[in-house]
Amino acid sequence: MITSFSSLRSLVPVLIVLALLALVPLMGPSNRFLSLAISAGINIIALYGLSVLFGQTGILSMGHAALVGVGAYTAALLARDFDIGFWFSIPVAGIMAAVVAAVIGIPSLRVSGHHFVIMTFAFGQLLTIVLTNGGEYTGAASGLDMSKPVTLLGSDIGDLQNFYLLVIAFVTISAVASWAIINSSYGRTLRAIRENEKLAAAIGINVGRHKIGAFVVSGVFAGVSGVLLAYFLRHISPGQFASFPSIYLALMVMIGGARLLLGPLAGGILVSFLPEVLNLDPVQSRILYGVCLIAVILFLPNGLIAGLADGWSKLMGASRRRAVTASAVSEAGQ
Amino acid sequence: MNAILEIKGLRKQFGGVTALSGVDLTIHDGEILGVVGPNGSGKTTLFNVVTGVHKPTAGTVRWKGQDITGIPANRISRNGIGYTFQQAMAFPGLSVLENVQIATEHSSASAREDFAWPTPMSLLEFVGIPGLAGEKAGILPFGSLRLLGLALALATRPSLLLLDEPAAGLNDRETASLVGLVQQFPAHGISVCVIDHDMKLMQMLCKRLIVLDFGSKIADGPTADVLHDPKVLEVYLGGEL
Repeated sequence: MITSFSSLRSLVPVLIVLALLALVPLMGPSNRFLSLAISAGINIIALYGLSVLFGQTGILSMGHAALVGVGAYTAALLARDFDIGFWFSIPVAGIMAAVVAAVIGIPSLRVSGHHFVIMTFAFGQLLTIVLTNGGEYTGAASGLDMSKPVTLLGSDIGDLQNFYLLVIAFVTISAVASWAIINSSYGRTLRAIRENEKLAAAIGINVGRHKIGAFVVSGVFAGVSGVLLAYFLRHISPGQFASFPSIYLALMVMIGGARLLLGPLAGGILVSFLPEVLNLDPVQSRILYGVCLIAVILFLPNGLIAGLADGWSKLMGASRRRAVTASAVSEAGQ
Repeated sequence: MNAILEIKGLRKQFGGVTALSGVDLTIHDGEILGVVGPNGSGKTTLFNVVTGVHKPTAGTVRWKGQDITGIPANRISRNGIGYTFQQAMAFPGLSVLENVQIATEHSSASAREDFAWPTPMSLLEFVGIPGLAGEKAGILPFGSLRLLGLALALATRPSLLLLDEPAAGLNDRETASLVGLVQQFPAHGISVCVIDHDMKLMQMLCKRLIVLDFGSKIADGPTADVLHDPKVLEVYLGGEL
């Protein structure tokens, strides 16, 4: 039911871009470039979850980094206390983040719009406070070390190039999962809620349950992203999951656009690489992000990718109209 | 005729304002019932309480013998009561076909397998807008939006349809075709309860009419009798028809 030509058309460009990105190590990139790309990729995994939540259901979370944090701390604690490695941490952390999302979502989603944004922001702050005051168990403000390497078939694949390819693989899985959700009847249900909650309830949709469901689904993506982050950084601390990272995630998904499948990819790459390309310090880059966000909201409300697509189709439409007019004029001349 | 919806002593207060003060009402299987009354007489509140948008202050609503008082809107719909809103609405950012697909997917299909319009396209053909299937619902002209709203309500496979001012904003031609559609419902096993101000429409559609005034029922009976009831003429029509 989910595979039709038109829905495949949205997936193919993303797969092509990811295939090209997988070839980047062949060009001998610098370590600096690779680590930036890895951070961007880890964010993009969480962004594909946000695209289900924000793009399809219309709910904005301003505490999403906290769910990434749940994934990261789950991975670090599993490695430290249970000697459990990367691959088994992925499903466990995904489930943990989903459970936390449900716990946050059940009371928070009784309110909507701005109120929900504030609730998620507050829960995000709350998690940071809990982690900071967790004593030896969570390593308090200094955080936890990741004690295990990433291994595949018994060999360590923790060097930058391999880790980059690992992240690309997870981004691909996230994009395909997000695509499958968007093009299923479940995705349609979420869009119905985004478009008109009252009418959605009138045709038999349990609005509350599906909103919590979308938040839980986005939590799974965030949890997986957190595991990769913990294994990449080798050390995690509460500050990494506080308000600024959450705002960056929201910023990325808004700038790239949440409704189209290329949006999270574009937003993640752009926001991660822009300060590097323009050689900005952190303060300057925050100012730039603010300006970008205002510009996107004012001029490209559906994000950069949707804006570009609109512009392209307008351009094509205009040139086609010109061609038609020109041929009409020449016919009239004859 | 069997009663399918029985409302007893229904009260609804918003703070100090009494919107419904103990209304009794029965809808029979296969009928088209009209509810009229001046602005603020409680017509839309009556629908909102039945459909779970508001919880009643007192009273009961029984649907096919079961108590459904105060259950949430989405479960009302799944029980087989469909409704349309006074403000014509759809899912504006989605295509017309997608709109109806969503509604079809959430119908409790098991309840009514014999349903006359099983697919989204057949619904669009029935209401007369199959040519708009690919358009975004947000750009539809008002008349087509009303028809889409009707298709959405039908897609839930109801046995009772509550229509809140279905002809508001429609021109005469559109109203006539709407009447043509609604009149077919009883033959397909769908009873109808319709709210409207338009007396001409009500006379065309309904054999039985109920009149509300200040949240109370002041008349209930065959349309012709009700329209000549001096009490109704007094409060609703200002003394003359």
